[in-house]
Amino acid sequence: MPLFEAKNLSKRYKGRTVVDLPELLLEKGKIYALQGPNGSGKTTLLEILSLLIPPTAGELRYQGKAVDFTSRGLTALRREIVMVHQNPVLFTTTVHGNLEFGLKVRGVPKSTREKIVVESLDLVGMRGFLRAEAHKLSGGETQRVAIARALACSPRVMLFDEPTSSVDVENRNIIERIINDINSEKGISVVFTTHDLTQASKLSNEVIPLFEGRKVPSVYENIFASTVSLEHEGEMRCHIRDDITLLAGTGTEGKVKISIDPLKILVRKNGRHDSEINILKGKLVQLTDEQTLVRAAVDVGVPLNVLLPKEAFKEQSLTVGDEVTVVIPREAITVF
Amino acid sequence: MDFLIDSVLSAFLLLWSFDPDLYFIVYVSLKVSFFSTLFSSLFGVPAGFLIAYNDFRGKRAVITVLNSLLALPTVVVGLVVYAFISRKGLLGILDLLYTQSAMVVGQIILIFPIVACLTIAAVSRIDERYRKTAMTLGATTFETAKVIFREARFALVAAIIAAFGRVIAEVGVSMMLGGNAKGFTRTMTTAMALEYDKGEFVLGVALGIVLLLISFAMNILLNYAQGRTQR
Repeated sequence: MPLFEAKNLSKRYKGRTVVDLPELLLEKGKIYALQGPNGSGKTTLLEILSLLIPPTAGELRYQGKAVDFTSRGLTALRREIVMVHQNPVLFTTTVHGNLEFGLKVRGVPKSTREKIVVESLDLVGMRGFLRAEAHKLSGGETQRVAIARALACSPRVMLFDEPTSSVDVENRNIIERIINDINSEKGISVVFTTHDLTQASKLSNEVIPLFEGRKVPSVYENIFASTVSLEHEGEMRCHIRDDITLLAGTGTEGKVKISIDPLKILVRKNGRHDSEINILKGKLVQLTDEQTLVRAAVDVGVPLNVLLPKEAFKEQSLTVGDEVTVVIPREAITVF
Repeated sequence: MDFLIDSVLSAFLLLWSFDPDLYFIVYVSLKVSFFSTLFSSLFGVPAGFLIAYNDFRGKRAVITVLNSLLALPTVVVGLVVYAFISRKGLLGILDLLYTQSAMVVGQIILIFPIVACLTIAAVSRIDERYRKTAMTLGATTFETAKVIFREARFALVAAIIAAFGRVIAEVGVSMMLGGNAKGFTRTMTTAMALEYDKGEFVLGVALGIVLLLISFAMNILLNYAQGRTQR
């Protein structure tokens, strides 16, 4: 029996569709990453899964049963699923008071509460802050206390919205470890959102790429708004900026969004290339190691992410600051 | 100019001598204002909370009306309540006119909009994330409302203090509904108005000093409450 099952699930705000999922299946005991750029509907989907907001249409099944968002039993169901928001807020009281909240509303007796509060703080390494005023904590500490507060509720499912977007590197590593631990040691199913592809693939069993509320086959990167004009053979010329235009396949005119596949972009250091179209000059501004690939950020007037195989990277001995030529093949461009 | 200095000096002497008449007036003022603030808070805070916390048709209209009522002149309240409780009025049978109860009723009407509006402002200002956090942690609707109330508590105290500041300093309602009867319904402000009419200033100035001291104390409290809100 799947944990969550969604059919034709959609959410609309003021005439705009923010989530549109014909199908979604999440298994028990796994870690899922909802990955996508801002505005891809990640947070909204997470809030629907946490049963905080109802979908506009469609069905959501939790543990095989259809969720009735108007039912009185929703609170009982919601108590199995806890969401930790992006930039979470702590109640204006002590850390202890915050952790106790979920237990109090569940009617857990005081002696048991004390034990769970301390255990939960231990899990996030914040036991020393038990009596601290919650509002005096730093961003990373707040995030960890918020996770402990959610953990104290002993949920079956934990949902994290951008858990590391506003914390420093040290806390980021700690939080990633906590997410891993609660899944492997406590068996809690986890769904988290991130715009960071590396984090998504490193931390999860499965990455679900989202774009404009829809599940998409692969993760879209390098998304640009552009205006398309047609060449004489029906070929699209996408104007990203006045000085940057790219030739894509055939299509129609108008305002569109395009995505450029980072795996298909070629980077040349010495200026030699076989292409006659879509050649941009830029500067290599950042290099990141991604297992078998190297992620290169190139500034061509707009920021462009490129994924290179390690061999290609070594062959050209690329370094940060290099002037490079970027070639974008037609097939690298997807038009929405 | 000399006469003002003389009045102030005499006023301090009067205060220092613990003149029973003077302190009785202060007592009546504080008592009436306390009860009107208490009752308007008992109605105004929950009303404001419900208006802010729920979405319903006509919510904006209700808030607009309450906001307009903030500017309600005390004499209008006095007149309206008078029409109801005077002998010929609908509630004349209760024999309320020129009693402290009448003053309390008038003052409740005067400051109910203040308490309600400031409560609405206080509750609306609470970050939406508090509601969502309470709910995701398993709180029922009622428990979630309690969280919002708790988070807004200092701003609510500020609302109540502001309402008290308004009634302790008002003249119209007290004069029209209380009647300024010595030893019964004479408050600091009505006494001051009377002393002015008589051309005697010592008691007036003394009461003015007390009023200012009370305002000052209220403002210290208000400042403290607001300071806690902004933290």
